[in-house]
Amino acid sequence: MAPTLLQKLFNKRGSSGSSAAASAQGRAPKEGPAFSWSCSEFDLNEIRLIVYQDCDRRGRQVLFDSKAVQKIEEVTAQKTEDVPIKISAKCCQGSSSVSSSSSSSISSHSSSGGSSHHAKEQLPKYQYTRPASDVNMLGEMMFGSVAMSYKGSTLKIHYIRSPPQLMISKVFSARMGSFCGSTNNLQDSFEYINQDPNLGKLNTNQNSLGPCRTGSNLAHSTPVDMPSRGQNEDRDSGIARSASLSSLLITPFPSPSSSTSSSSSYQRRWLRSQTTSLENGIIPRRSTDETFSLAEETCSSNPAMVRRKKIAISIIFSLCEKEEAQRNFQDFFFSHFPLFESHMNRLKSAIEKAMISCRKIAESSLRVQFYVSRLMEALGEFRGTIWNLYSVPRIAEPVWLTMMSGTLEKNQLCQRFLKEFTLLIEQINKNQFFAALLTAVLTYHLAWVPTVMPVDHPPIKAFSEKRTSQSVNMLAKTHPYNPLWAQLGDLYGAIGSPVRLTRTVVVGKQKDLVQRILYVLTYFLRCSELQENQLTWSGNHGEGDQVLNGSKIITALEKGEVEESEYVVITVRNEPALVPPILPPTAAERHNPWPAGFPESPEGTDSRDLGLKPDKEANRRPEQGSEACSTGCQGPASDASWKPQNAFCGDEKNKEAPQDGSSRLPSCEVLGAGMKMDQQAVCELLKVEMPTRLPDRSVAWPCPDRHLREKPSLEKVTFQIGSFASPESDFESRMKKMEERVKACGPSLEAREAADVAQDPQVSRSPFKPGFQENVCCPQNRPSEGDEGESDKGFAEDRGSRNDTAADTAGQLSHAADLGTASHGTAGTGGRRLEAARGLYVKAAEGPVLEPVAPRCVQRGPGLVAGANIPCGDDNKKANFRTEGDIPRNESSDSALGDSDDEACASAMLDLGHGGDRTGGSLEVELPLPRSQSISTQNVRNFGRSLLAGYCPTYMPDLVLHGTGSDEKLKQCLVADLVHTVHHPVLDEPIAEAVCIIADTDKWSVQVATSQRKVTDNMKLGQDVLVSSQVSSLLQSILQLYKLHLPADFCIMHLEDRLQEMYLKSKMLSEYLRGHTRVHVKELGVVLGIESNDLPLLTAIASTHSPYVAQILL
Amino acid sequence: MNAIVALCHFCELHGPRTLFCTEVLHAPLPQGDGNEDSPGQGEQAEEEEGGIQMSSRMRAHSPAEGASVESSSPGPKKSDMCEVCPGREGPIFFGDEQHGFVFSHTFFIKDSLARGFQRWYSIITIMMDRIYLINSWPFLLGKVRGIIDELQGKALKVFEAEQFGCPQRAQRMNTAFTPFLHQRNGNAARSLTSLTSDDNLWACLHTSFAWLLKACGSRLTEKLLEGAPTEDTLVQMEKLADLEEESESWDNSEAEEEEKAPVLPEGTEGRELTQGPAESSSLSGCGSWQPRKLPVFKSLRHMRQVLGAPSFRMLAWHVLMGNQVIWKSGDVDLVQSAFEVLRTMLPVGCVRIIPYSSQYEEAYRCNFLGLSPHVQIPPHVLSSEFAVIVEVHTAARSTLHPVGCEDDQSLSKYEFVVTSGSPVAADRVGPTILNKIEAALTNQNLSVDVVDQCLVCLKEEWMNKVKVLFKFTKVDSRPKEDTQKLLSILGASEEDNVKLLKFWMTGLSKTYKSHLMSTVRSPTASESRN
Repeated sequence: MAPTLLQKLFNKRGSSGSSAAASAQGRAPKEGPAFSWSCSEFDLNEIRLIVYQDCDRRGRQVLFDSKAVQKIEEVTAQKTEDVPIKISAKCCQGSSSVSSSSSSSISSHSSSGGSSHHAKEQLPKYQYTRPASDVNMLGEMMFGSVAMSYKGSTLKIHYIRSPPQLMISKVFSARMGSFCGSTNNLQDSFEYINQDPNLGKLNTNQNSLGPCRTGSNLAHSTPVDMPSRGQNEDRDSGIARSASLSSLLITPFPSPSSSTSSSSSYQRRWLRSQTTSLENGIIPRRSTDETFSLAEETCSSNPAMVRRKKIAISIIFSLCEKEEAQRNFQDFFFSHFPLFESHMNRLKSAIEKAMISCRKIAESSLRVQFYVSRLMEALGEFRGTIWNLYSVPRIAEPVWLTMMSGTLEKNQLCQRFLKEFTLLIEQINKNQFFAALLTAVLTYHLAWVPTVMPVDHPPIKAFSEKRTSQSVNMLAKTHPYNPLWAQLGDLYGAIGSPVRLTRTVVVGKQKDLVQRILYVLTYFLRCSELQENQLTWSGNHGEGDQVLNGSKIITALEKGEVEESEYVVITVRNEPALVPPILPPTAAERHNPWPAGFPESPEGTDSRDLGLKPDKEANRRPEQGSEACSTGCQGPASDASWKPQNAFCGDEKNKEAPQDGSSRLPSCEVLGAGMKMDQQAVCELLKVEMPTRLPDRSVAWPCPDRHLREKPSLEKVTFQIGSFASPESDFESRMKKMEERVKACGPSLEAREAADVAQDPQVSRSPFKPGFQENVCCPQNRPSEGDEGESDKGFAEDRGSRNDTAADTAGQLSHAADLGTASHGTAGTGGRRLEAARGLYVKAAEGPVLEPVAPRCVQRGPGLVAGANIPCGDDNKKANFRTEGDIPRNESSDSALGDSDDEACASAMLDLGHGGDRTGGSLEVELPLPRSQSISTQNVRNFGRSLLAGYCPTYMPDLVLHGTGSDEKLKQCLVADLVHTVHHPVLDEPIAEAVCIIADTDKWSVQVATSQRKVTDNMKLGQDVLVSSQVSSLLQSILQLYKLHLPADFCIMHLEDRLQEMYLKSKMLSEYLRGHTRVHVKELGVVLGIESNDLPLLTAIASTHSPYVAQILL
Repeated sequence: MNAIVALCHFCELHGPRTLFCTEVLHAPLPQGDGNEDSPGQGEQAEEEEGGIQMSSRMRAHSPAEGASVESSSPGPKKSDMCEVCPGREGPIFFGDEQHGFVFSHTFFIKDSLARGFQRWYSIITIMMDRIYLINSWPFLLGKVRGIIDELQGKALKVFEAEQFGCPQRAQRMNTAFTPFLHQRNGNAARSLTSLTSDDNLWACLHTSFAWLLKACGSRLTEKLLEGAPTEDTLVQMEKLADLEEESESWDNSEAEEEEKAPVLPEGTEGRELTQGPAESSSLSGCGSWQPRKLPVFKSLRHMRQVLGAPSFRMLAWHVLMGNQVIWKSGDVDLVQSAFEVLRTMLPVGCVRIIPYSSQYEEAYRCNFLGLSPHVQIPPHVLSSEFAVIVEVHTAARSTLHPVGCEDDQSLSKYEFVVTSGSPVAADRVGPTILNKIEAALTNQNLSVDVVDQCLVCLKEEWMNKVKVLFKFTKVDSRPKEDTQKLLSILGASEEDNVKLLKFWMTGLSKTYKSHLMSTVRSPTASESRN
């Protein structure tokens, strides 16, 4: 029974266990929400390393190009020089073999410090040939505009289209010892190779840069016995850093609501938002002293002798030609960039070491041999790590994240989890193993703490469903921060003070057991869940519409040309990328409603697609509680022609300014929205109303789309699915649906729309399709047009009189809307009257909701046609089209470009401005952003899903959680990994300590290894964990409750309550520590119920809310 | 998004420069002052949500002042367009911690007068957060590419029209090379508005860039869970809601008000509710309520000192068990202060106070009752073991308690007599929580704040047990034997603890109770696991 359950848990999506690697390789299609990246298309050998240097005097030189490296055996076998050289496949195939072997060799080498004898005997033979032809170009790209004077490192990513490649490069300034120019000998060695007639022609690049070789012989005098570069242990012992960091935490940033209970998460995010803000200019977040060291630590560098030199390291990923595979890799790459960068830094350190130590080798062929093989090893390791990272089996359903995502089968999930949990408590708590593991996990992966901190507002839903943090949500809105970073920090538990970054490895031969433990731990290893939101401004995506990357996908079944065949036509509709502004009106515009932005207007209107979205508003109208307001609000908006709104804006601005004394120009929607209501009120109103209606969307007021589809934005992709009509029973109904959709795309749109209006007013609608324009030219526009000139002329007086009396016809609409006339009809009438009188093409609130759509379209006509037909009004400044030989030039005396741009702009601004009272003076224009609609989908390409891994063939450095069969590799790499983690934190902020929890189910031991303490005992990886009695009593009571058949969800509630108790105890402890410099364990025990074995746990918890605690105890 | 989006141009005369740049201004900054000193024109649009403003400005500066303007304000560096992109049109990411990180997309715009018939532009996004920027690459690439396509489309139309009217290539080929014309052509840089023939281009770009910033900033959102509120918080919320309802009903019926007023004086109730759950220190609450007077009892520890340990233990015992606590005193403030201190031992839901009454009130109405000295207490109450009476007498100086009251003017004139129908046996262990509270109060090393925090912990710990017991007995109606088992699991099998749990059960919030009741009724929850 148990295995089947486990299989369900872990192999549900075929991405785990031993089969994982195989399945990963064989499987092409990307699977559902739980995912793992398929690696079949990913060729490890296609990861290329290039090292370049750029020197003041010598210019650019290639120091290494993995494409130019051949294994000796292969060279002899394959004599043709020009064939592109591939690295031995052996070197990088497979995941486990590569990384383990290469890393072992790496470690053995690095420990030896590198002597020539050693190199001679053990190194595989590589041959370095001429770098590939594209290397010069790549060098250009790598260095680009990097200033020689800049001391820090520069990061770059290029996308190379053909062949598709992704290049990530880092440029460092080289830090050289007193032996300046000591890499020259390496260069010379290459040149030496290249001069060898057997090895091909000289590289022109290198050749041309030859003359400066002065320093080359100095290298021989390098002292051999220098200790290798220490990892700056003393400088960054972590404590100093953490102290400064926590003081940073305490600094009183003006946090709007520090009182909220989830304040620590909140603070962290707020701080992130502030430190990455650009508002006060670009403030470097941390000093970047990341240099490329060409000197051993002990050689003091003489500043006078330091020549400017840059070293660039570049990794090039060749992408698969297949689009799908390419996208997969890009997804992975861009979403997991911090990990890539971290490994790149490792590679860089290896290169540094290789360069330094190869200098000690006198003989140049040996030196090159040594250097190249070192680099190839490092590259091999990099490749292996990346491949592992890409292909590692992930836990398909991490408990916490899955529970959070609110699946329907939540109860089952609770039961499944609790079953596993209690099983572990019962079976593997010998020697308190499980309690120890859980203690360690709760102590270091601290992200659970904010999830139990009590809040001071009532829950919305059930108790087991905690609520999402509103304050953090608000923060994300007002001060966007990087949620990926926040999630990564949560996962690594790096939320305490001092900041520790923690990983957990479960080691054991029994795969089942390890997987069980991993599964249970995913409940305690918590992080926030990420959602991906697609904001659209034009589309009214219906509930059922598929949306992909912002484009709407419409599927339809069409008759094929061949008899009896059916095609599914998938239409991808893209939102235009240029968002049309909602411009304030101007007098000029009134004459020329379609300004020069629409060059083809004289040619007719057919190319103009007014993405009319009003139907939705109209439809929603009846739903809204406040009829009066919605009438006002949405009437004009629902008419979808932007022009009338502009007209309104003008009126309103003039009207409102004297009344409110506000110079701010309200947005068009607001103007539509019943005039006197200020923006705030309207927004509030809508905020109140909308969320209840459309929980998934933000308030959506579509902005009128006056945008021209200059290019057809409909792309059709046709797939054939079976060529004969299937006899299935529901096929017909399906076809009907399809037909409807087809119709929807076609000209008979209105019918459907009307039907929709009648049937389902709640459904939001798709934007109008082209084809509707046929209706545009209708006679109704005549009167409007005729009136227009007059009304424009009389506008000024009009305005004046309206201000005074508001009795004018023109004023009536606004008046009507103003008063929030309850009846749609009234407003509508008012609007029409206005329209007739003034020719402003206004049709205000549509009358009855069920008014057929067709007439509506007709009524829309006037705005359109009039707009299109009046481009050449009396004061129309610019002809839209240039006549022959009359290409206008903006010539100016000093800066042609600048001034012409500015001139044009100024005139544009003036155009915008002088409808209002802004002529000349202020040139600032406010434009409202179009209302947006957001469609949320769960984002699976995040760390929460990818860093919680299953049972891996070998130890892996980055994963937050994983299991593995043996600790062999762990023992080899752990110390170096931890040190690397501290020095190149993935987290994009300095960390004080890197921690790894190692639970060994074979030895029943739980140890914590850290980057700070050296373990004297060679047998041990870290320190044994003290079992917290809080934790073990928690485990016991959960087990007992479970045995008493309390329901699973209640047990989980109780578990959460108990965790909350721990939090409260930590509060008590921190309060206690405030007054004490020493902890009297006895006091704690007797009075506060805290035992000494609880102290590490409670202190760690306390450090998330009271940073001073750690400082007291340290 | 904490980013700047800008349109740059690589001018053949002046090199790379910024034409137009949109940035985000967040709430803490004063609004709208960003543009006053900027040389160009700007547009601003305010977003409804979160007070975020997107501000754009034209960059109008002569080459001479260009450098200074750019160095003083955040924005693209000149070098931004010197990055090499293969094929010259395409996306690049670059940057460093010092200057920020940039996602840039270069592109060409057709210009029939330009050299090579095209001009070189780029749209760039600058951020300090490289992780987010890199993560947004696919998104930005798509959107920026879209904008570029449309710009190029517009320009192409203009270009074609111009070429149709006046084929430059032919003209150039036919015209003999004259330095003047050449220079003129090279110089005659036209603005992007004329290249695209769109006068609203800047407005359009502003909206598009602002939109891009908004969409990219809200592209990823977090769902971050926070802990459930404590029972105390829930009960307070509920009381507050009740109070609001009540006050509404008071408006309607004046008569009711009269009846209720003495029972629940508004001031008392309001004060109770304003206290946060975390700071159970009644002192602060009292202080704000009664600024004129310092609270008589400062803390439980203080009260314990005043009453003496044995009396206090008896009193506390009764308080914890839910027995009626009656204080008889002429000093209203003293009684209220005493209740404020004593109530901190109980969950909020278990506290029903009638601070001062002129007649005895039944125990079901209140577990804290303040009475004036003359009020008669019914004999059954006096003899009951479920009530404790504290009589406050004005005493002669000689009978004063020796401990802790020397400096206490307000208390020095009183002596306290604690009596109960059946006094608690001194050797009885008592509820666990009482012993812990006493230990905490005894230990002078612990500050008042620590004790408060300790009380919070203890209360929550026991409320958690209460929850389980409630679920077990009231919701699931399990048999007695099971309950006994459960109690021993909870470490509360002793008689006093059980009593305490039963009393505390009355303090559970309605929200919690109804939640448990509803889940048991829902079909999914009733599935038993096998």
